[in-house]
Amino acid sequence: MINAIYFLIPEIFLSLSVFVFIIFGVFKKNSFDLIYKATIIIIPVVIFLILNNNFENIKIFNNSFALDEFSSFMKILILVSSFFVLIMSKKYIQDIKNNKFEYPVIMLIAILGMFFMVSSNDLILFYLGLELQSLSLYILASIDRDNLRSSEAGIKYFVLSALSSGLLLYGCSLLYGFTGSTNFQVISNNVGDINIGTIFAMIFILVGLAFKVSAVPFHMWTPDVYEGSPTSVTSFFAIVPKIAGIAVFIRFMYSPFQNILDQWQYILVFISIASMILGAVAAINQKNIKRLIAYSSISHMGYAIAGISTGTESGFKSTIIYILIYSAMNIGFFAFVFLMKRSGKYIEDINELSGISKNHPLAALSLLIVLFSLAGIPPLAGFFAKFYIFMSVIESGMYALAIIGLVTTVVSAFYYIRIVKVMYFDSPKKPFENFKNYGVYGSLIFSCIFLSSFFMYPSIFNGIISKINIF
Amino acid sequence: MIAHALFFYFFSIIAILSAIMVIVSRNTVHAVFFLILDFISIASLFILIGAEFLGMMMIIVYVGAVAVLFLFVVMLLNVSEQKLSWFRGARKTKHIPIGLAVGAVILLELIVVVGGWKYRDTFSETKFLNFEKDFTNTHAIGNVMYTEYIHLFQISGLILLLSMIGAIVLTYRKREGVKRQNYFTQVSREREDSIKLVEVESGKGINLDD
Repeated sequence: MINAIYFLIPEIFLSLSVFVFIIFGVFKKNSFDLIYKATIIIIPVVIFLILNNNFENIKIFNNSFALDEFSSFMKILILVSSFFVLIMSKKYIQDIKNNKFEYPVIMLIAILGMFFMVSSNDLILFYLGLELQSLSLYILASIDRDNLRSSEAGIKYFVLSALSSGLLLYGCSLLYGFTGSTNFQVISNNVGDINIGTIFAMIFILVGLAFKVSAVPFHMWTPDVYEGSPTSVTSFFAIVPKIAGIAVFIRFMYSPFQNILDQWQYILVFISIASMILGAVAAINQKNIKRLIAYSSISHMGYAIAGISTGTESGFKSTIIYILIYSAMNIGFFAFVFLMKRSGKYIEDINELSGISKNHPLAALSLLIVLFSLAGIPPLAGFFAKFYIFMSVIESGMYALAIIGLVTTVVSAFYYIRIVKVMYFDSPKKPFENFKNYGVYGSLIFSCIFLSSFFMYPSIFNGIISKINIF
Repeated sequence: MIAHALFFYFFSIIAILSAIMVIVSRNTVHAVFFLILDFISIASLFILIGAEFLGMMMIIVYVGAVAVLFLFVVMLLNVSEQKLSWFRGARKTKHIPIGLAVGAVILLELIVVVGGWKYRDTFSETKFLNFEKDFTNTHAIGNVMYTEYIHLFQISGLILLLSMIGAIVLTYRKREGVKRQNYFTQVSREREDSIKLVEVESGKGINLDD
């Protein structure tokens, strides 16, 4: 048991810091600033602790908790992106007068829940991690409780997500009933002889997972929740839970369900195609930048799931690269959204961006890089993300999926480039409020440098990811 | 074997019917009655397969909690004007007959589950889960709760903590002008702070404003 605790040091450290922050915040008045900064400092420490754990693929607690390169990589990705979300949204959350000390603490708890999800090798641990994460997300969505939109977003997300959790649990219980275990390895051994119950369970679990990553038949909540919740929370929603969701998706498809590939492959292909098409078409007419990014994230999840649907090793590795680049692009995008402030109010309308390039040439240039990358234009990282996905899709001979994916890429390029057109060719309006916000600038610069220099050193990430093995 | 099947179908039919009635009945109070019946039937099913701990927890937690829910329903819905007719039955009310019917079914179930206890060994042969016979459920759960499932136990605790924080974040408002009790000043008050002994000269009285 002592060994197990030794391997759990990052999680234990994270939960202990949560407790310390709560107690500190209760006893010291107006401690938002201090706890927020402490949270930002905690995250690199946890990254260090994860890197410090040099083990090779072990499973602790009765094989229910998997510690391998996959989970470590995903945890570090989750931490890095939440680090950027935290540093760029501090000013915003203070401006909307929501500086409660619980805000960063709840984010830390959500990160903890995602850690358990990513490491889970057991249905019970997976469900508890998922519940810990979603419960924090409901609270975060409605954290601006005096705002009607925020409360609406919270209640909408809560009701729909509780429904999908119910379906997921039903699937889990069926899976337990038909395979006799909650452990992923045992399930994958017992799932081989196909019967209708297992397939039923698999479909219910897929529904729950697709809801959590907002893939198409279960995407309805996404635009409303993204628009309603405060922008800082939206940036968290759009980046971090998606990483955990895709990680769990990969874990489920490649571990318990790996022997029934031909059963889930077509479902995933359908989800992927539907997400790509809907994300591309529905975003065209959006005026609000948060709704736009919601639809854009739906279509990006479609591409990520296309990688998983191949069922091959190169498929899930390309999905990991995709989700890495996706989070970098969204960090840049939201960093720009936090700059959009005019006469003390944050603006969300795309038309308000007109002619920004005259007043803020550098900011406009960085948004241009981010948008071109989101659209997948060659030298930028977004192109490589899609390139790897389509490579692995074509390798496994799914040409229809690849062709539809390419067509939707072209369609979705329209609405990204429309923003560029509004920024560069429309008549200028008043400049944004000038404020020194090093967190936002830092995130924007990081994102742009990452996106524009990825093509020079793609082998760094490919080298790390090629070592990942989850079987 | 047949006894097991009979008991199983008896309880599951009641459970399914009452679950349907929970949704179908328009009166909230009736729905709660059927909900309680449903929980008790399912608890009986648990007891039948030998999971007595789960069955008892079901009754304690769900039926206990639902009784509180029932109270809330009665308080939130405006039933004060029906108050008298509840007991007298003067106006046409269906609460009492339906309540009595549900109560009768619950009593029947209790008789069946207690009476069926002597067939316990035949149930044990047919059930699929392999419990140790001389090993109670509570004992079995206690064996693994803090050893194999300690991490799950702790994460459940974290979820409860989070729900507490969430409830406070989303609902707590500091109100101005409320006089709060301050334990520290109350406890640290000394006799000298509040009592003053004054020698009063007769006929002069005392000025309290000093």
